[in-house]
Amino acid sequence: MTAAILSLTNVSYRYPDGTSALDNCSLTVARGSRTAVLGTNGAGKTTLFLHLNGILRPSSGQVRWEGTPLDYGRSELRKLRSRVGLVFQNPDSQLFSASVREDVSFGPMNLGLSEKIVRERVEEALHAVGMTDSADKPVHNLSYGQKKRVCIAGVLAMQPEVVVLDEPMAGLDITMQEELTTVLERLHAAGMTIIVATHDLDFAYGWADEAIILQSGRLLAHGVPAKILLQQDVRNELGAAPLVAEISSQLSLIGIDLRDKGYLPRSKSELLTALGAHIRQETKP
Amino acid sequence: MLTELSAYTNRWRRVTPTAKGLFSLCGMIAAFAAGSSRTALLIALMLTAAAIMGAGVPPMRYLRVAAPALLFLVTSALSLLVSLDFGHNYATGVSLHLAGPEMTRIAHVCCRSLACLTALLFLALTTPLPDIISLLRLCKLPDTLLDLMTLCYRTLFVLSEVVHETLTAQSARLGYASVAISLRSLGVLIANLSVQVWQRSQALHLAAVARNNDGALLFLPPDFPHATRSISRAAISGILLIALAVTLP
Repeated sequence: MTAAILSLTNVSYRYPDGTSALDNCSLTVARGSRTAVLGTNGAGKTTLFLHLNGILRPSSGQVRWEGTPLDYGRSELRKLRSRVGLVFQNPDSQLFSASVREDVSFGPMNLGLSEKIVRERVEEALHAVGMTDSADKPVHNLSYGQKKRVCIAGVLAMQPEVVVLDEPMAGLDITMQEELTTVLERLHAAGMTIIVATHDLDFAYGWADEAIILQSGRLLAHGVPAKILLQQDVRNELGAAPLVAEISSQLSLIGIDLRDKGYLPRSKSELLTALGAHIRQETKP
Repeated sequence: MLTELSAYTNRWRRVTPTAKGLFSLCGMIAAFAAGSSRTALLIALMLTAAAIMGAGVPPMRYLRVAAPALLFLVTSALSLLVSLDFGHNYATGVSLHLAGPEMTRIAHVCCRSLACLTALLFLALTTPLPDIISLLRLCKLPDTLLDLMTLCYRTLFVLSEVVHETLTAQSARLGYASVAISLRSLGVLIANLSVQVWQRSQALHLAAVARNNDGALLFLPPDFPHATRSISRAAISGILLIALAVTLP
């Protein structure tokens, strides 16, 4: 098993108004993994993310980076925040400058890097999210999806080891969602650890290696999406199961087994391919 | 938004703001140095020509942007030109006086103001605000002031979107059907906006902290091609403008 890059041990957090946002939460995130965090609104996803970046400090319990408890001193926090990049849900709450290039440069400039290095990193980050052509446009003239990509570029320019994205698909149309998934795939292929909060069960089922289910600040389930997203308690909490998994299981009831070498389809395209193959096999003379 | 549109779409968008700022400054110096109304008008014309013919700002857009400032100028000119005399007693009443002997000086002041206005318009219509802020940073203006400018400029667009959405939502539910309801809706809108400003400032603070910020908002200074050449050209043109203002009667 890959070593844990981030872990939480019995973490609880209570907001100053007394609201309990995390309750005795323990979980690990493996280096290089793709983790989806699911839960209803108010389940504690954003609070969890703010702990990973050291913005919030647990009321009790510990957050660890590669097994070492976080040090909340100024210099250690700077190190942590350069390692863990946080992309917020609303791009308008994250973008400071009206210029795309300037905004992307904000993080690396805060790291105290030289102008030359920052310039290189900004161009690399813009290229990684496919925004090089829009780099000279003012931020307020960009579409919602483009603003999200600028936010991601702003974090990538800091060259973090972990990228945490809070509901990145919210408000995006299908094409933009697909483009963003491609960006995430590219980052994962480059060895980055990616943690995504989402309400999209199908996305989590098809994309993630690990899923974390939160229920009122508590950890309800943690494991491989293909297993835990089909558990009854998780279904009850999230209100549904991934559609692709539902279709596969319904088809198996009428004797259509879509498994390919023991592997069930995890995305719509895989399901369609498996169905096509099955139909071809059935209709073979 | 018209200024914004011009600043991002003019021919000199990619010319370094230092050059444009320098030319604008020279324009203002020339305006002050102009010895007569005619010279000040000539400077104003040349600065307008630079914006319209050089940078390619459409003339109608230029006029529409200049209109509010021109209105102020005309109002000021009229108030200088005409004075009210309340007389020494009630019998003489109130009378209007035209400032006859002062006419030349008033015309001179107004033409100078017009030249200054065109110099500022030149900068505003050819340079996006982030570039102007980076220029001001080069001029060593205090960080706090520049951070405020950056955030205000960005927030202006975010909040105008919120205002537009709230107005639409209120109108869709007859929020502006009568004067009384309109006043109430407007109050609700302002209250809602105040809360949003507070929430968004909190969110921006979190976002800044998450990207390792603990002081001034630092950004990469924009890079402009052929900066030295543009600055030299702007300096030469600016000096010629000042020389013209000084030498002409």
